[in-house]
Amino acid sequence: MFFHIVLERNMQLHPRYFGRNLRDNLVSKLMKDVEGTCSGRHGFVVAVTGIEHIGKGLIRDGTGFVTFPIKYQCVVFRPFKGEILEAFVTMVNKMGFFAEAGPVQIFVSNHLIPDDMEFQSGDMPNYTTSDGSVKIQKDSEVRLKIIGTRVDATEIFCIGTIKDDFLGVINDPTTA
Amino acid sequence: MALTIEHFNKLVKLAARAFYDDITTKGDNQPKSSRSDNRGIAVVVLDALTRRQWVREEDLAKDLKLHTKQLRRTLRFFEEEKFITRDHRKETAKGAKMYSAAVAATADGTQTGKEGEEKVKLHTHSYCCLDYAQIYDVVRYRLHRMKKKLKDELENKNTIQEYICPNCGKRYTALDALRLISMEDEDFHCESCNGRLEVESDKLATQEAGDGDDNARRRRREKLKDMLQKMEVQLKPLMDQLNRVKDLPVPEFGSLQAWEARATAAARAANGDGSASDSKTSLGLGQLPYNGDTKVVVDFNGGESKGEDIKSEAETQKVLPPWMIRPGMNLTKEQRGEVKQETKMDEASTSTAAQYSDDKKSAVENDDKKNIQDEFIKAYYAALLKKQQELEEAAKKQDDLSNSHTFDNPSSSAANRQVGMKSKRAEDEEDDGTEWEEAPVAGNTSENYKVSDLNVQADDAAADDEDDVDWEEN
Repeated sequence: MFFHIVLERNMQLHPRYFGRNLRDNLVSKLMKDVEGTCSGRHGFVVAVTGIEHIGKGLIRDGTGFVTFPIKYQCVVFRPFKGEILEAFVTMVNKMGFFAEAGPVQIFVSNHLIPDDMEFQSGDMPNYTTSDGSVKIQKDSEVRLKIIGTRVDATEIFCIGTIKDDFLGVINDPTTA
Repeated sequence: MALTIEHFNKLVKLAARAFYDDITTKGDNQPKSSRSDNRGIAVVVLDALTRRQWVREEDLAKDLKLHTKQLRRTLRFFEEEKFITRDHRKETAKGAKMYSAAVAATADGTQTGKEGEEKVKLHTHSYCCLDYAQIYDVVRYRLHRMKKKLKDELENKNTIQEYICPNCGKRYTALDALRLISMEDEDFHCESCNGRLEVESDKLATQEAGDGDDNARRRRREKLKDMLQKMEVQLKPLMDQLNRVKDLPVPEFGSLQAWEARATAAARAANGDGSASDSKTSLGLGQLPYNGDTKVVVDFNGGESKGEDIKSEAETQKVLPPWMIRPGMNLTKEQRGEVKQETKMDEASTSTAAQYSDDKKSAVENDDKKNIQDEFIKAYYAALLKKQQELEEAAKKQDDLSNSHTFDNPSSSAANRQVGMKSKRAEDEEDDGTEWEEAPVAGNTSENYKVSDLNVQADDAAADDEDDVDWEEN
């Protein structure tokens, strides 16, 4: 799920950026630093959307670096148990398949794949129904439901299922 | 207390029959002949343990007519199941005796151990005891797991797949999957030993029924539902018992040492060495877990002591135990001596007198009952003393008739007397003319002997004195 929240961060700026566009430099460095990171508490920071407030800089003794406390708005993405996501399949093996929904990695184990789909090994390992109408392989798009999340300090990993109504392949690259 | 432990014992018995009915302690590799089939042993052992507290394993084996090895295997199994606590210690023969003393104290109060001889030989003895608190938790947890497993499988979408390493036994869940994939092949590999992980398949219904088939899936669901229902029905008594036991205080025996110390202390208090203070006795009473209240009630009615009459007739001449004399105080002290003499005298001629002394004897034998009796004496003595003083004074002033009236008054403290007493009183009343003349002077018995009709007089006097004694016993 996506959230728009306000976060705070202390930015350290090198003295060489001091000048007319100190503020711009500060913001671009902030974006470079936080976008794409993941915290267990808030999830993945997708994008910084605005600056709320930049506090007074504090020169640090000995280095000349200046620390600015910054409040900024950003979009974060945090997966939850029970959430439905659309994801790209990245890898298929006999244990199941891995998929990605943006920054999140999701594993769907083979017993959470519908019973009528069977693993086909080979050059392009895939899960196929007996009549061959539905196929899950690398780069397929699937809709899945998250049934478990593991949230570490800097990492979020999910397991999902496609063994439910309206879940499964939504766009097959081979037929498209 | 006794009631609580009954409930817990029932829980243990139900659990034993529900879960340990077909446990065999033999290893799987041994061929099972009909002779070595020892299923049901577990139930027997648990049942036996519900009737005991801490018990030495050799004793238990002897009682159950089992081989010690076999029993020990069963006990070890239950220790792993967290049903019992065990204690092993090296001890001398004396240490073992200390235990048997404790056992005797909890069982029937007869102290058999002699402290005299002492061997320095050390033997390791094992003791075991039911751990009711843990049993309660274990059974509840077991039921919870059973239910959870079936339910999870029934709605099998929300289960997280588990993987196990066949080499090192390490377990992973699907949540670890990202770390487990290796570059070389498509399998999951163990983090510690790099072995190939296998899917944990402890599922109940998956093994049979061909995969994929829609029919099979439905069959499986039905089977699971059936199992769940059956479980609910069959384990209902156990669950009911769990609920019943829920709010009860758990019977706690403590560690072996603590239990032993407590039991022996209680035994000592019950034996009542003369210096035993009141508080101590009452404490000992409270700590004897198996001093059922029912026992005491029976004793009050005097029915039990009646039954022992014949048996103990021979030993009527035993001296009074110290606990009877202790609370005697000034009034009855001189009488005590006379009582004994007179009992001896009358023993042959009057069966009633003998019976009373028998009551005394049986009281001596039942150590555990003494606690109650001791306490009762205390309370009774205050009333009795007052009564007797009143009586003596009254007797001096009043005539015989009025005297007998006071005694017959049902509201007086005499109402609590034993059943046997009543018949005695009736007897007294028949020849009350002579008796009540003597009653006030019962203290100095020299007069009794002066009377010409020795036999009758002594009998009556004895009867009176016995009255006193008997009240003390109450």
